[in-house]
Order: sequence, then C-alpha cells, then structure tokens
Amino acid sequence: MPGRLDITWLVLIGLALATILVPQLVPRPLLGDALLLIFAVTKGRRIALDFMDLRAAPALWRGLVSAWILIVVLVAWLASAVVVLI
Amino acid sequence: MSAADCEQQGTGWGILEDLPGDPMIWVLIFSELVAFGLLLGAFVVARAIHPVVFAAGQAALNANLAGLNTIVLVTSGWAAARATRSARASEKRASRRWLLIAMALGGLFIAIKLTEYAEEIGRGIGLETSPFFTLYFLLTGFHLLHVGLGIIILAVVCRRAEISGVETGAAFWHMVDLVWIVMFPILYLVR
Repeated sequence: MPGRLDITWLVLIGLALATILVPQLVPRPLLGDALLLIFAVTKGRRIALDFMDLRAAPALWRGLVSAWILIVVLVAWLASAVVVLI
Repeated sequence: MSAADCEQQGTGWGILEDLPGDPMIWVLIFSELVAFGLLLGAFVVARAIHPVVFAAGQAALNANLAGLNTIVLVTSGWAAARATRSARASEKRASRRWLLIAMALGGLFIAIKLTEYAEEIGRGIGLETSPFFTLYFLLTGFHLLHVGLGIIILAVVCRRAEISGVETGAAFWHMVDLVWIVMFPILYLVR
C-alpha cells in the first residue's frame, strides 16, 4: 500500500502532466495562467510539507516556505494579468 | 561542558533546530529562496514591460523537454525523501540505494537541460539575443548550478548514510526541486 511519500509523488507527476497540457486545453490566458500557477502552488506545498518534512516542523517554517511560494506565484500572475488587461 | 550537556541544551541554533538536518543548510536554503525569488520577480516585471519580446522568447523554448525535466526532478525528490525515511529506520543500504537513484535522476536532469541549451544555441540563441534570454539563461543556469551542487552534497552524505547527513542533503535537494516547480511554468508557460 503506498505511503504518504508515494502518494505525494503520484500527485506531483499528475500535476506536472496537467501543467504541460494546460496551454493546449485552456486557450484563455488569464484562466490558463491562473490554473498553471495554482498547480505550481499545490506542487510546491506538497514538496515543502511531505518531501522537506515541514509538516512536522513549527508553523513558522511552514509559513515562511508557503509564503515564498505564494508571493512568487501571485506576483507572476498579477504581472501577466496586467499585460493581458492593458 | 560535556557533549551530553551540549546536546541537552541544544547547539545554539534556536528554532532552526526544529528542522530536519543540519541547521546551517536551512540558512542556505532560505537565502537561496530569497535569491531565486528576487530573480523570478525581476523576470515577471521585465515581462510586463516587454510583453512582445518575452512572448517571442517563450515561443522559442522547448516546453516539452522542460516538462519532462519536471517529472525527472520530482521523481528524484521522491527518491531523496525515501532515502531520508530509510536512514531514519537505520536502513543504510536502502538509504544509499535511494540516494544513488536521486543522484542519477539529477544527472539526467542536467543532461536534458544541456540538450535543451544545445538546441537553443544551435538556433543562434544566446545570452544577448533579448532581455528574455538574458534572464532565462541566468535563472536556469543558476538553477542548474544548484542541481550540480545538490548532486555533490548527496554524494558526500551517501558515503556514511547517517540520519543527519541524509536529512541535510535531502533538504537542499528538495529546495532545488521546489524552485524548479515554481520556475518552470513562469518561464515556459505563463503568457
């Protein structure tokens, strides 16, 4: 029976494949970009919590790594949204 | 003060001691995350300023090869996480085996990335082709250096396969994985 690490790996592989397909399946840039970046946040969180073992670490460290992922991704989405909307 | 006293009172790293592996690696990890965050921030701001140039640059990239590399790197991260679990269970042989798999996949990542670079350079693309490619080569090159450094760290900790060493090497390796997971869509796919 697969453990948490194996499930996380399968989730990451599934999301990596979905990420490659998004630009072909979702032609609308704003929605497509949002999906890509949501996938990136989900993958990043799974790596931080399960591979880096931050699930068992104090909330401060989980929060810092999660904040890094969210800030980088949010800035990327906002910058691309500005280009699309202007 | 005896070694036992030191252990009882901690080693002076404060809250960093609650993280797996050597606390020093986490200082490095957080520093690297800040550096990559700033570089990615510079990339997205430059794209907002030069959207046409960046769209043309992105269209010239091979997103399928980079996507394949994502699968290679997350599988390598999984192997490193399994190595940590084995080391904690005092299964040194299994830990070494997982570390070797992680390193081999890291080597495959480098080979695929170099193939991608060769393909781009063969088409006349270089650092000075456009602002997009200056930042693209800077970001991916800096990341590739970290992949190489990560393989060296994993090779060093593989020899003894002790818990703290494997946790330290794996933590750095997962940071390299994490950065790529965020970098890949921003460079190759986000329009």
